[in-house]
Amino acid sequence: MDKELLKIENLTIGFPTKNGIHTVVDHVNLEVGKGEIVGIVGESGSGKSMTSLAVMGLLSEEAQVSEGSIRLNGQELLGMSREERRKIQGKNMSMIFQEPMTSLNPVMKIGAQVGESLKLHTDLDKETIRGRVIEALASVGLRNPELLVDQYPHEISGGMRQRVMIAMAIINHPDLIIADEPTTALDVTVQAQILNLLKKIHKDTGSSILFISHDLNVIKEVCQKVVVMYKGVIVERGDAKEVLKHPKHEYTRKLVASMPDQVQKVQNTKKLLEVQNLNVYYKENKKLFSSKDKRKHIIHDMSFDLYEGEILGVVGESGCGKSTLAKTIVGLNREYDGKLEMDHLKPQMVFQDPFSSLNPARKIGWILEEPLKLKGIKDKKQRKEMVDQMLTEIGLDSSFANRYARELSGGQRQRISIGLSLMRGEKLIIADEPVSALDVTVQSQILRLLLKLHDEKNLTYMFISHDLNVVHHMCHRVIVMYLGRIVEMADVDELYDHPCHPYTRMLFDSILTDEEKETTDSVTVNEILPDEAAGEGGCPFYGRCRYAGENCLREVPTLTDIGTPGHPHLVRCERIEYGEKYTAAD
Amino acid sequence: MKKHNYSLIIGLILTGIILIITIIGQFWTPYDITGMNSMAKNQAPSLMHLMGTDNFGRDVFSRVMNGCGTTFFVAVSTVVIGCVFGTIIGALTGFYGGLLDEIVMRINDVLLSFPSVLLVLIFISFIGTGKYKIIVALGVMFIPSFARIVRSEVIRYKSQEFVRSAQVMGAGNLRIIFVHILPNTVVSMLTAAAIGFNNAVLAEASMSYLGLGVQPPDPSLGRMLSEAQAYIFTAPWYAIWPGVVIVLIILGFSQISEGLRAISD
Repeated sequence: MDKELLKIENLTIGFPTKNGIHTVVDHVNLEVGKGEIVGIVGESGSGKSMTSLAVMGLLSEEAQVSEGSIRLNGQELLGMSREERRKIQGKNMSMIFQEPMTSLNPVMKIGAQVGESLKLHTDLDKETIRGRVIEALASVGLRNPELLVDQYPHEISGGMRQRVMIAMAIINHPDLIIADEPTTALDVTVQAQILNLLKKIHKDTGSSILFISHDLNVIKEVCQKVVVMYKGVIVERGDAKEVLKHPKHEYTRKLVASMPDQVQKVQNTKKLLEVQNLNVYYKENKKLFSSKDKRKHIIHDMSFDLYEGEILGVVGESGCGKSTLAKTIVGLNREYDGKLEMDHLKPQMVFQDPFSSLNPARKIGWILEEPLKLKGIKDKKQRKEMVDQMLTEIGLDSSFANRYARELSGGQRQRISIGLSLMRGEKLIIADEPVSALDVTVQSQILRLLLKLHDEKNLTYMFISHDLNVVHHMCHRVIVMYLGRIVEMADVDELYDHPCHPYTRMLFDSILTDEEKETTDSVTVNEILPDEAAGEGGCPFYGRCRYAGENCLREVPTLTDIGTPGHPHLVRCERIEYGEKYTAAD
Repeated sequence: MKKHNYSLIIGLILTGIILIITIIGQFWTPYDITGMNSMAKNQAPSLMHLMGTDNFGRDVFSRVMNGCGTTFFVAVSTVVIGCVFGTIIGALTGFYGGLLDEIVMRINDVLLSFPSVLLVLIFISFIGTGKYKIIVALGVMFIPSFARIVRSEVIRYKSQEFVRSAQVMGAGNLRIIFVHILPNTVVSMLTAAAIGFNNAVLAEASMSYLGLGVQPPDPSLGRMLSEAQAYIFTAPWYAIWPGVVIVLIILGFSQISEGLRAISD
């Protein structure tokens, strides 16, 4: 690139502690050229967010910039007065934040929020601003922008909010957009839409983007150049595709190779869990003055088996009922009918959020001992020994018994959670998004631990996840759920090679694959599609399906087996019944 | 960067000093606490009598030392009654919710909407006066506020995943409530107890002031205030010193609760 837009030189940021300055960003040099998309990748604590906050002038009071310079269009930003900075922000650069739920002001109408920077930085009149706002909202693919301007953030979905944030960021045609993990909080399908949108904006307006993420696939998809940060230092930089294909630094290699090897298929016919015609409801709390019992039908008529030693993946978007299924199996939800048969087991569960799944008032040793007490092991010494042994097995040591959960990192806590689920010696473990709250490198460690324990203890997992890459590597068989129904179920290779249901294919289209699809010109901005099922009694996927035909509205399609003997491949789609088998992605 | 918790330190020092003097006062006082001396009526504070003497010539300092004990005893017992029953009621209603919760909480609301002194007076008119009856009456009045705090804490924690986790491993509801959830509420309970203690000290003083609590000749801070009323101009020290001590006790405990709140945040 011929001209530098943003130039960061020797940027050093630290926090004062008792033992002197703790440096979080250490002599970072970074350039973003005009019209470039540069990615910063690294795990939390690598200093990537600190760097972007420094550029935006949003560092907290305690942070000290001890050295360096940040220049935008040759103008030094550090040491600029608040007043001068205010003029630049929102006009020459803007930021897209990670959390669409909290980054919008809940009591301000969307139109006012999006138009705020125009109001501050231009002297346009009200009507013109409104026009520009509607234009911006339309350009980020939001339907009915005229209505949206008068709505409040809580009236729209997370994906739409993120689009509103983006509209806010681009409305003043800034030279530089800083996007800090803009898709981390979103579902895969929405994530793909948002990334496409960012690419489109980049193409249309020529704004430069500084893109911060911990997700290599996202970076690879969007960025031209990448810098890899580790503990406040840039360890590698270069062309995004080149760096991620042939990483040179050890840490980058670790990041790229953080997927564990795929598991071997087990052949076992002993059923550990049999689910037949399972319907699960959610009972709304009874109030004093309401007589009617309200039940919401969450899971419809689900049937599947789980065999000993198997790892069964369950995928689907949030709200599809996968967590409800997990809770029902472990006995946390009794509002169900149908058959739920287990072989004298009390399945245990690994929870998603390692920060709320461990009791904050108790020490780790006490927490791990609890299942043993409940199981009736009276001997205190024996319990202590079992706890120590488990701590070693999950890759920690006996000193952890005396600590509180808050003293541990997310990864360590999730190890404890896994250990806790194994304390009773049960063989069936339900893992509900066990790694989605963790950093990438930590994720791979936890997944490896799960696989190691699976082999050593002959465990059976039901592995719930929205991350299709993880499921591909971890599982033998996969169930795809949509609005409380199984829409497709097959062996993992069969499913990933020949996804048949339109919804499964839509999920796969939204994965950012390892093979680099050349960024084609057909970057489309998908409409936000309604989450509600279309007609009463019709196919639940009707409203979002691009293959939908008239037949689809008649009734809910049945699950049809289109697999080979011994390898069932079930699909719930009207089109399949009419003899049409899809082949692998177009 | 750690900030010093000055509130807690000041509160603990203040309360500690008063507590030590009070404990000594239960075993030894400079003068006999009921010993009258007609030669030394209504004397101003001097080196002989640090806080002066009352209308019977009794040493005010000795009576304050000993009377603090009565006040503390009533206040602590009251808080314990309120705390124990409030915790049980709050924990059960908060955890189970439903109809029981609605009913108990509405009763709670009714009780909280009356001035507590009024309710205590009604209560006492049924069970009679005296130190132990006052404890029971005040204790019962304290139950609703504790129940409310515990209930809201339990509701906050019961939807957390560690509770799910305990259910999955097979813990019963009572075990989950009392062994898993309640230890998490300790800090906010301590804060509430410190505030409750203050209210109890004041309530005991006002009850004794009205002549419904501790009976003469036993000293209590409220009792002394009430007796001093008649001599407020001739012997102001008699009223001032017990009042000052009440203020110091309250100050100490409110500093402690302030400090505890800082910790829990």
